[in-house]
Amino acid sequence: MGFSFVLAVFGSTIAAIIAMVFLLYYFSMDYRRNLIGESASSLSREQSNLLLSRMRREISFSAFFMDDSKSIGIRYLITTVILFFIGGLAGVGMRISLWYPFPTFLTPIQYNILLTAHGTIMLYGFAVGSILALGYYLLPSANMIERDNLGIVNSIMYWFFLIGSLFIIFSRSTASWYFYYPLVDQLSIAGGGSYSFFTLIGVSLIQVAATVSSIIFLKMIFLDRNKSIPVSKISLFSWSIVSSAVLIITSAPVSTIANGYLIYDLINPVFFQGSSVLTYAILFWFWGHPLVYVAILPAFGLIYEMLPKYAGVPLYSYRAGVFSLLLLMVFSALVWGHHLFNSGLGTIWDLMFSTTSFIVVIPSAMSVFNWIATLWTARGIRLTVPMLFVLNGIIDFIIGGVVGVYSADVGLNAFIHGTYAITSHFHWIFIGMTAGMAFAAIYVLFPTLTGGRTYNVPLAKVHFYLNSVGTILMSGFWLVGGFEGMPRRVAGYFGIFQTYQDVAAIGGVILGIGFLIFLINFAYSAYQAPVMSNDNSLEGEVQPI
Amino acid sequence: MPLKNKLLVEVIWIVAVVAILSWAAVSNAAYLTSDQNYISNPVSSDPVGTVINVTGYQWAWAFQYPNGTITTDKLVLKANTTYTLVVNSKDVIHDFYIPAFGVQSYAVPGHPNQVTIEPMKAGTYIFECVEYCGELHYEMRGTVVVT
Repeated sequence: MGFSFVLAVFGSTIAAIIAMVFLLYYFSMDYRRNLIGESASSLSREQSNLLLSRMRREISFSAFFMDDSKSIGIRYLITTVILFFIGGLAGVGMRISLWYPFPTFLTPIQYNILLTAHGTIMLYGFAVGSILALGYYLLPSANMIERDNLGIVNSIMYWFFLIGSLFIIFSRSTASWYFYYPLVDQLSIAGGGSYSFFTLIGVSLIQVAATVSSIIFLKMIFLDRNKSIPVSKISLFSWSIVSSAVLIITSAPVSTIANGYLIYDLINPVFFQGSSVLTYAILFWFWGHPLVYVAILPAFGLIYEMLPKYAGVPLYSYRAGVFSLLLLMVFSALVWGHHLFNSGLGTIWDLMFSTTSFIVVIPSAMSVFNWIATLWTARGIRLTVPMLFVLNGIIDFIIGGVVGVYSADVGLNAFIHGTYAITSHFHWIFIGMTAGMAFAAIYVLFPTLTGGRTYNVPLAKVHFYLNSVGTILMSGFWLVGGFEGMPRRVAGYFGIFQTYQDVAAIGGVILGIGFLIFLINFAYSAYQAPVMSNDNSLEGEVQPI
Repeated sequence: MPLKNKLLVEVIWIVAVVAILSWAAVSNAAYLTSDQNYISNPVSSDPVGTVINVTGYQWAWAFQYPNGTITTDKLVLKANTTYTLVVNSKDVIHDFYIPAFGVQSYAVPGHPNQVTIEPMKAGTYIFECVEYCGELHYEMRGTVVVT
């Protein structure tokens, strides 16, 4: 695969996008008329977008040619599920290659490509993408919006996101997802033969898309909200999106600028060579840590929305929920320095960031308390598939969170930093919360997304149990191995760690099979006859037209 | 079951969480001020004990002892002796980590760090690089021999 191959891929992608733009006008008018009848041609684009954003909408290819908020959400949803599949494939590949202590079917370079691809695709493509998907899809109905007039901006940002993801997939970068400076310079085309700058451009495009979308989310929630919803009644999912959006707006541009400097540095080293080499790392983590909170806060919001519905009682405390989400927004922006303990930035640095890292646990504990108290006061919990994901997510969050508290302590951090204990920490939370809540939301929305069809419940339960058991095997054994000093990001390891790696590999394969079953279930059920109304509990407020 | 005094329950929970975390934060701060040497810090002028220069490069570790000898991927120490490792890097960022001692220090080019270790028991332990540093990152590992 030489440069010409990559060029051909990008060339054809861009050609396909241009073709899609040409199709846009014809397709959108036709599909609009199909959905809202003859009034489509008499209404302005803004008015028809508003109507479409307040309708229950199903998955369709036509979403790619429409620019109302729900269509944009559907676009992100389709893209993000595909990206999760690609990122997951990279993850399973790494796991299988680590079966033996020496590199087996992957050479170290191939392993490092998968390592980088897994990290960037999962964080930027899946975590950010799923938040944008659910935000665009659910916010209009949750807030009964009164305007939907920035469709073209949303549409352009989606294409930014898609092109960014394609750049990441095809770049074959080996710089890992945080591109520390001296290494990324060495791994350029001239050095190690990897196209890191494509990944950097892709990441920057996704950051721009996320920033602009965040501003639109805030506009939807605070300016376009129906006047019948006072601030004290805004749904908790909307509050969680507010927290995420503010975090993205305040920190993503910093990373975008740092990426710009870095891309320039790859051509002509100017910015980071003269300063301390940790400068890029510091600029990166200023965004890198808020990013992981961006990835879980909407999952908090979804738990707040779904848990009371399946527990049969109102939420224990709405105010504590809002308070906790807003506190998380403030404190999580102040803890990023804990990624650079042990790097010699001084005792004051360590003291400051370990203290803020302890403080950020308090709002998380408030949320967990709220969920447990809701379950405690519940009458008749219904163990549906989404509820199983919610309960599993809470448990995974507690386990992963406790490991997170350990690593906030500087002394313990020197013991587990850079080991699989950290990988385990965020996989508990990302698989249990970010991915788990995305699955739960898709299951809740399934009748709407497929026009009144229902998913196969036994298959969905198989997916849930495989997902849960896979996480426990993989992250659990990583945790034990990490406490014994098993290092992360390695293509081979000391033989003493083989048991942990083998069990984690089995867990990883189980997770992969679970996701395949989800895809099979989705494809199979979408072709059954519609059997129910397209109601769902997440869009409860929406008025069908 | 329904709860009486909803607010009280929540306040008790938050107070308990804050108490536990305050204890953790205060003990962490105390550790940071009293045992600074065991944490990776920028090189200071008066290191404790015997100084060993640790240099990371792609993809091995070199150890230079006070008598001038250099070993690669093998660190030889004496039990019950205090050592200060001065960790530096020749090319990219590495991270020197000895799991059994619970010590690690980034090897940042042009920014030497130091960390103090005090091996207690004779034996053979492992050390690793735990900061991703390119193609053969996984081969940057070796053994610590304490005699």
